[in-house]
Amino acid sequence: MVVKKILYADPLECCGCRNCEIACSVAKEGIMNPHKSRIRVVREGPVIDMPIACRQCADPPCAKPCPTNALVKENDLVVLYEENCIGCGLCVEECPFGAIFIHPDKGTAIKCDQCGECLDFCPTGALKLVSTEAVAHEKRIDLAQTRVKVIEEWLLNSKDMAEK
Amino acid sequence: MAFKFKGYGGKIIRVDLGREKTVSQPLSSDMAKKFLGGNGFVTKILWDEVKPGLDPFDPENRLIFAIGPLSGTGWPQAGRFEVGAKSPLTGIYGDASCCGHWASELKFAGYDAIVFQGRASKPVYLWVDDDKVELKDAKDVWGKTTSETEKILREQHGKDVQVASCGPAGENLVRFAGILHQRRAAARSGIGAVMGSKKLKAVAVHGSKDVALADPEGFYKFSREIIELYKRDKFIESRAKYGTPILVELMNEIARWPVKNFQTGYTPHAKEIGGERIREEYRIKDRASFGCWARCEKPLMVKQGPYRRIYAKQPEYESLSALGARNWIHNLDVIIYANELCDEYGMDTISTGGTISWAIECYEKGIITKEDTGGLILSWGNTETLIELINKIAKREGFGNLLAEGSLRASKKIGKGSEKYVMHVKGMEIAAQDGRAQKSMGLAHATSSRGADHLKAFPLLDEVVMNEYIVARYGREYLPEMANRLDIKHKPFEVKDGEELCALCDSLLLCKSAGTSLPLFTGAVYYPEMAKAVKLATGMNIDASGMRTIGERIVNLQRAFNIREGISRKDDTLPSRFTEEPAPEGPPKGHVVELEQLLDEYYKLRGWDKETGLIPRKKLEALDLKDVADSLEAMGKLPR
Repeated sequence: MVVKKILYADPLECCGCRNCEIACSVAKEGIMNPHKSRIRVVREGPVIDMPIACRQCADPPCAKPCPTNALVKENDLVVLYEENCIGCGLCVEECPFGAIFIHPDKGTAIKCDQCGECLDFCPTGALKLVSTEAVAHEKRIDLAQTRVKVIEEWLLNSKDMAEK
Repeated sequence: MAFKFKGYGGKIIRVDLGREKTVSQPLSSDMAKKFLGGNGFVTKILWDEVKPGLDPFDPENRLIFAIGPLSGTGWPQAGRFEVGAKSPLTGIYGDASCCGHWASELKFAGYDAIVFQGRASKPVYLWVDDDKVELKDAKDVWGKTTSETEKILREQHGKDVQVASCGPAGENLVRFAGILHQRRAAARSGIGAVMGSKKLKAVAVHGSKDVALADPEGFYKFSREIIELYKRDKFIESRAKYGTPILVELMNEIARWPVKNFQTGYTPHAKEIGGERIREEYRIKDRASFGCWARCEKPLMVKQGPYRRIYAKQPEYESLSALGARNWIHNLDVIIYANELCDEYGMDTISTGGTISWAIECYEKGIITKEDTGGLILSWGNTETLIELINKIAKREGFGNLLAEGSLRASKKIGKGSEKYVMHVKGMEIAAQDGRAQKSMGLAHATSSRGADHLKAFPLLDEVVMNEYIVARYGREYLPEMANRLDIKHKPFEVKDGEELCALCDSLLLCKSAGTSLPLFTGAVYYPEMAKAVKLATGMNIDASGMRTIGERIVNLQRAFNIREGISRKDDTLPSRFTEEPAPEGPPKGHVVELEQLLDEYYKLRGWDKETGLIPRKKLEALDLKDVADSLEAMGKLPR
């Protein structure tokens, strides 16, 4: 069975410090340049910060137009064979998330390979490499917890229940 | 040719607004070695290029944005940028710094500083996109608030552009206007008004270059070691949880918390505007600047009432004081809204609140009347008046036009003894530290190069009992007196030492509140660590004592700038409320600041002349500032 994992951060937990960008750029390139980081943080409005990296799609739209088979789905990852990449940028057009882009010096594609180097550099612990099942599980619990409050309140205020 | 030292962009942008010309110049390696960056560059350029006696609103004043060799590298807590000019509030050296993502972006674009001179014939902004540097028409953003300006310029140039701008207050030459970037503020000294006087609305930056380092592997290995320390640091943990508002109740407990224009240092209402309450009832999340681990910015939500909405940030400790307790206001919703207004207009909350509280005290004492205020009734705790005055100051309307001059100038116009209630040093409104309750802070305000200010020396070791950290940093022989905030012993030493360290932090653009000063207590990041980081980043071989010398050099050159403007010992003073009126309650009850004794010892430690506060030639030459000594001598400004 394939356990698909994604780099995931709740936008209300991410603080937008971009330490993940720093960690990624340093790990992959040996220097800091945000345009060479495979994970990119988007800061919008007063409260939203979102790190975005390749989601390792099961049916990756980036791979489809690739004329040189540089992008291949292998097990649970979308693997980039750099030596095959000709830097045409078709994958950039197809990715719905802006998670694959062109290296400013090499001119070929770069993307997250889920090495996990960034995880230890997240001050808030927002950034996680987790299975989609774990994300979904968390969402289910969140939903249940918001209901708990409403239902408890209802129970406490309900005369019928108190009498029983 | 590439710059001699790594870590730097190696270039400075020069902008002549009058002639609409921009030039990219090579950075001088001598300047890098002697001043590192940030406020070091600001100080050196102001000294070299701003003639004594110049009106700060004269086009010949300089407005300098500067970053440092660690900016953009990812070194923790190094996300700040420095802005400097001759201050329209104080008429002396002026600077302020601000965190966020602007500093790193300027480094990615390949620059270390931007120097503006002249005045544009119509409003403009500067657009820097790597090697492209252009002055653009600012008609779409002139008159707009700071967040509107950022939004418009980001829509125009791309969402990853970083913008620093002045608001309507800067355009209207409010003498304490600041410069804002993503709701962080380079607030003090009125630098926003200098920006407005130059008809410069904003500086928008985008960069995509590598930050090349001398020893990247060694640098990032060391940076990781420091990050591990920060992860475990209890002060950073507190900043991350609450930000600066957690200090409100703590400082109120030691009666160092300014209430009613410093009439006292204690309020029974501190809890209502303290950090715990903000976290419990208002906080949405954390936000942070580039490479920050302390994430002290907290977007808030006011859930009900007339101010109900989402706010980009919580008021800092200083703003809770200046807009809150200092005006006897303990309605958090109102303070949050007032703080937001100051940010949108681009005004320093400390000077805004300080000036308003001066006016209220004068009104209470019958010195200022309804005739002066245009019918406004000023009183403690009047939330509507606070909001109205903030609006009027920013727009320079009616009574606001007088207050926009700052409390010292306003008092000179009002006269009638109102001068006595101006809580200022050298024209700068005093920040939220009552020196009577912590003597080192009293001295720090008196000697700070930009006028009343806590961040130029940031003496924290005597704030609350910090014995183990005093031992770690200075040694056991400084106990027990240094730990006693009401005992003046060792305090001049603490302030002098702090001024050098803070000057160094401001030249490397390290955060003092969370990143550097607090772990400093534990001896974790000090001169040797900063020297090592700079060496690994730049290749410059400066040891720990060389680092301290740079700090001392910057302090002395700022002093020389001020001496040239006529500053001497007579100006290193405090309001009589601190030196003559004993603190009325709490632990400091009965205390005043023994300023003259503190100053005698401070000048001695500095090697400055005790009578005049001037700097002897010998001291300047020891700091490699012979040319400065020559200029001061020619003006008759060396001690006899």
